Amino acid sequence: MLSLVPREPEISAESSKEGIARAQQELLERIALGDQQAFSELYDSIAPRVLGLVKRLLRDHSQSEEVTQEIFLEIWQSASRFDPNKGGAATWILTMAHRRAVDRVRASQASRNRDVKIGIRDYNPDYDNVSESVEIRVEHERVEQAMKRLTELQRQAVTLAYYGGYSHSEVAAMLNVPVGTVKTRLRDGMIRLRDELGVAS
Amino acid sequence: MTSQKDADNLSGAYALNALDNDERTEFEAQLGESEETRNEVTELSDTAVLLGLAVEPVEPSAELKTSIMAKLASTPQLPREVAPVRTLTPAPQIEDDAPAAATARIRWFTRPVAALTAVAAAIAIIVGGGVIANSLIDNGSQVAEANQLAAINAADDFQQTVVDVDGGGSAKLVWSLELASSALIVDGLKQLPSDRTYELWYIDAAGARPAGVFSVGSDGGTWQVLDGKMAKGDTVGVTVEPRGGSESPTTDPIITVASA
Repeated sequence: MLSLVPREPEISAESSKEGIARAQQELLERIALGDQQAFSELYDSIAPRVLGLVKRLLRDHSQSEEVTQEIFLEIWQSASRFDPNKGGAATWILTMAHRRAVDRVRASQASRNRDVKIGIRDYNPDYDNVSESVEIRVEHERVEQAMKRLTELQRQAVTLAYYGGYSHSEVAAMLNVPVGTVKTRLRDGMIRLRDELGVAS
Repeated sequence: MTSQKDADNLSGAYALNALDNDERTEFEAQLGESEETRNEVTELSDTAVLLGLAVEPVEPSAELKTSIMAKLASTPQLPREVAPVRTLTPAPQIEDDAPAAATARIRWFTRPVAALTAVAAAIAIIVGGGVIANSLIDNGSQVAEANQLAAINAADDFQQTVVDVDGGGSAKLVWSLELASSALIVDGLKQLPSDRTYELWYIDAAGARPAGVFSVGSDGGTWQVLDGKMAKGDTVGVTVEPRGGSESPTTDPIITVASA
């Protein structure tokens, strides 16, 4: 049974993580009332994460900052629609950020012309790039370990879709497998990751 | 018609944003039919967020924050609303191609923002005294008013209508009969001399009931939750009255908004 309690991805420093999540939620509530100071604080706390994710998909720094700007203006516009019962603030924001980044990737002509082989090589997760931040390292490590539990095809499909922003049909072409197979692998792979990462409730 | 099996199969692709727009829309439409699929999609979406949190953060340039902050004042905020059936889209999209009417509707809600964030400036330009001055000076009632406005916007029976103002500007009435409450949001009204004030009225067949006074700033905009209870069929009016307001209107209304 899935409970509707606010959920944040777990990491080791549970109490401080919960504190951050609660603080971000309160900031969103103030932002919904037009509080620019609260917006400024939320920006400081999560903009590097948003830009990091967007840049992972787009590569180009200035284009990534453009998309990050769109994302934060969307946060400002739609903060009133944030529902803590549906998940934490970081979840809401990163989900929005990923969708925006994917939209931009698909919209840009350059991305349409991306060489699929280069794509596969480039979008392999860069786990060697270990962050100085303990928190990020912990998250890296957990995801890396979970990824190792996937089959090769599941891992490639999930990686290309999430970190590359490719659609399932693009992924199918790149991996040279039928689209139906990709759909199944994406689902199987995500379910495996969910279980490995302890997301299931 | 896509089978349930197919719908389930798409949950992973959906959580990873790997569907195209048509597929996404179709999949979201089907989510209402299966709680099991909804739960799975929620979990897989949360899992996708963990993939995002594993990415190395990148420090934005200082200019980015400056640029975003500068745009806030001119970026409208969506009012709170109660969606009858929530889709599982965690991030409600602002439609880039929103019709002009929708854009105009949203634009109204920049006014409360300005009013709330510029309290000091607002106090400086208060000329009429009365309710709005009190509410702006007293942070507690200011918040209460903002909460009341949010409650009206969130009410199940939320309604709104926009009218032009005689002499320039426009006025939007938002109301909920369930809450027996309404708020007027004005834009482009002229500033009154210090011995005059705008006064709100609930008007029915029996006459006009005073519902508070307000002033506007140099930009001609403000908003005000009306005092008293709104009844079904009430018309909301605004007149110009002597400072402090009147017990009954002494001039012709410059704004009348029928709620029926």
